[in-house]
Amino acid sequence: MDELESEGMGGWRRGRGEHRLLFPLQFIQTPLRPHVLRLVAACLLWTLVAVPAVWGQAFMTKTGHAEFTSSVPLHTFTGTSEHLVGRISLPDSTVDFYLDLTTLETGIGKRDKDMRTTLETDTYPFAEFFGTLVTPFDPDREGAQPVTVRGAFTLHGVTREVTIDGTLRRTAEGLKVEAAWEINLNDYNITPPSLLIVRVDEVQKVRIEALLEPVERS
Amino acid sequence: MRPFLLRMIFAMVVALGFSAEAGRAQMPRERVDPGGPVEEVFWAPSAILGSSVYNLPQGNLNVTIMHAFGIVTNGVRDLFGLDGAANIRFGADYGVHDRLSIGVGRSRFDKLYDVRFKAKLLRQMKDNTPPVDVALKGDVGIMTVENGFDGADRLSYLASLMIARAFGERASLQVTPMFSHFNTVFIERGSGRILEEENDHVALGLTGRVVLNRRLALQVEYMPVLGARSDGTTNALSVGLDIETGGHVFQLFFTTSPWLTEQHVIARNDDDFFDGDFRFGFNVNRVFRLGGGE
Repeated sequence: MDELESEGMGGWRRGRGEHRLLFPLQFIQTPLRPHVLRLVAACLLWTLVAVPAVWGQAFMTKTGHAEFTSSVPLHTFTGTSEHLVGRISLPDSTVDFYLDLTTLETGIGKRDKDMRTTLETDTYPFAEFFGTLVTPFDPDREGAQPVTVRGAFTLHGVTREVTIDGTLRRTAEGLKVEAAWEINLNDYNITPPSLLIVRVDEVQKVRIEALLEPVERS
Repeated sequence: MRPFLLRMIFAMVVALGFSAEAGRAQMPRERVDPGGPVEEVFWAPSAILGSSVYNLPQGNLNVTIMHAFGIVTNGVRDLFGLDGAANIRFGADYGVHDRLSIGVGRSRFDKLYDVRFKAKLLRQMKDNTPPVDVALKGDVGIMTVENGFDGADRLSYLASLMIARAFGERASLQVTPMFSHFNTVFIERGSGRILEEENDHVALGLTGRVVLNRRLALQVEYMPVLGARSDGTTNALSVGLDIETGGHVFQLFFTTSPWLTEQHVIARNDDDFFDGDFRFGFNVNRVFRLGGGE
C-alpha cells in the first residue's frame, strides 16, 4: 500500500502512467483511464442509491383481511380471517398473496371444522395468488385507482389463471388494497358441502382488504 | 470499448438481473399455527348419555333434545318401546369462552332441572403436546316433582374428569372418572320393595368412537360403578350412531338407562343390556351462533 497514493474520485495511482482499481476479483484489475473510472464510479453510485430507492417501493402485510360469503337457500354466512399475507412490488409489478385457510372462522366452530374438512386444509393449507399488475398504477396520485392483476390462483391444489379487478391507493402508511371476485368451487375440485340436504352454492364471493406497509428488501 | 468496461457492465447486469429475479420470487408460505389442536375428538358435547370433551367455541349455543323411550324387547305390543314412558331432556349449553361452557336442562323424570359447566383444561395437539383432551365437568340437579322433599333434599351432584384422545382420524377413546352424590335417596321403589341406596357413587365412564366416514360414527359408552352401589342397579351400556349433517349432530342409540343425566345414570340404572333390557333413544344437537347472526 505504500506505493499507492490517492488521485481524486475513484482511482488510485500505482506506478507511472497506470491506473488500477484494487477489487478482490482479479479479472477486473485492468489499467483504466480516468474517464472510465468516473463512469464506473457513477454506475456504482447509481447502484447504491437509485436501485434501493426503487426497491423501497415494495409493500407487505401479514395481517390483511380476507373473507368469503357462502349461500344456501334462504341463508348466507361469511368466513373471515385477519391473517392474509401479501406483498406488492411496484418496480416489477409483482403481486403475491396467500392465506392460511385454517385461520378462516365463520363464527360456528362445527361449521369451521366442516369447512376445513371440505378444503382438506391438512393437505392444502393455503389459498394463494401470484401474478402481476397489468394496468398502470401511479403511486404519486391520490385516491383509489382501479387496477387489474393477472396470475395464478391456487386453491385445493388446483391452479388456474385468473384476472382480478380491485383498487390500490397510496396512503401515508403504505398501500391500501381492496379486491373482490368470485370463485367456483367446482373449478378447484371442491365438492360444496351440504347442510342437511341443502347444498352450499358452488360460487363463493371472495373479498380482501389490506394495508401493505413499505418494506426494504434485503 | 475496453474489455474491462464490458466485463464491468456485464457483471452489473447479471447482478441486477439476479436481484430482479429474487424480487419476483414468491414469498415462502408459512402456516399461522403449524401444529394446532386435533379437530373434534368427539362431534357433540354429549357422547351418548354422558358428556364428551367436545368444547363449544365462545359465542356458540348448542341446543340439545334427548329422548329415551321404553324397553325395545317388549315387542310390537308397545311398538318396541315407543309407547313406553319416555324421558326427555331439553338442554342448552353456551360457550362463554373457548374453554368454558355453561348449560341448563330440564328432564321429564323427576321433573329434574340441572345446571352444569364444562371447562376444557387441555387440548390434544397434532404434535402430541399434550397428547390428550382433558375437561372438567360439574352438574347440579334439582328435582321438582311433588314428593314431599324439601330444599336441599332435592339436590344431586356430579363431578367428572374427561380424558380423551383421538387416534388418527378414525378412532377416539374417552375415560371419565365420575363421582355422584344425592342428598337424599329413595328407600322404597317399585311395588314396595325396600332397597338400600347409596348417596355416593364412583364410576369410570368408558367411551369409544369409530368414525365410519365424514358423516357417520359409531359409539359405545359403558359406565361401570366402582365400589359401593345401590341395590339392584347395573352398569349402564349404550351403543349409538352419530350422524353429522354439517349443522346438526343426530345421535341414535340403544341404551339401558332411561336417565339422561350422568349422576342418575350411574346411580339408578337397573336394566341389563344383555338381558334384552335396552331402549331406543336419540339426541339432536344444533349449534347456533349468538351475538352476530349466522
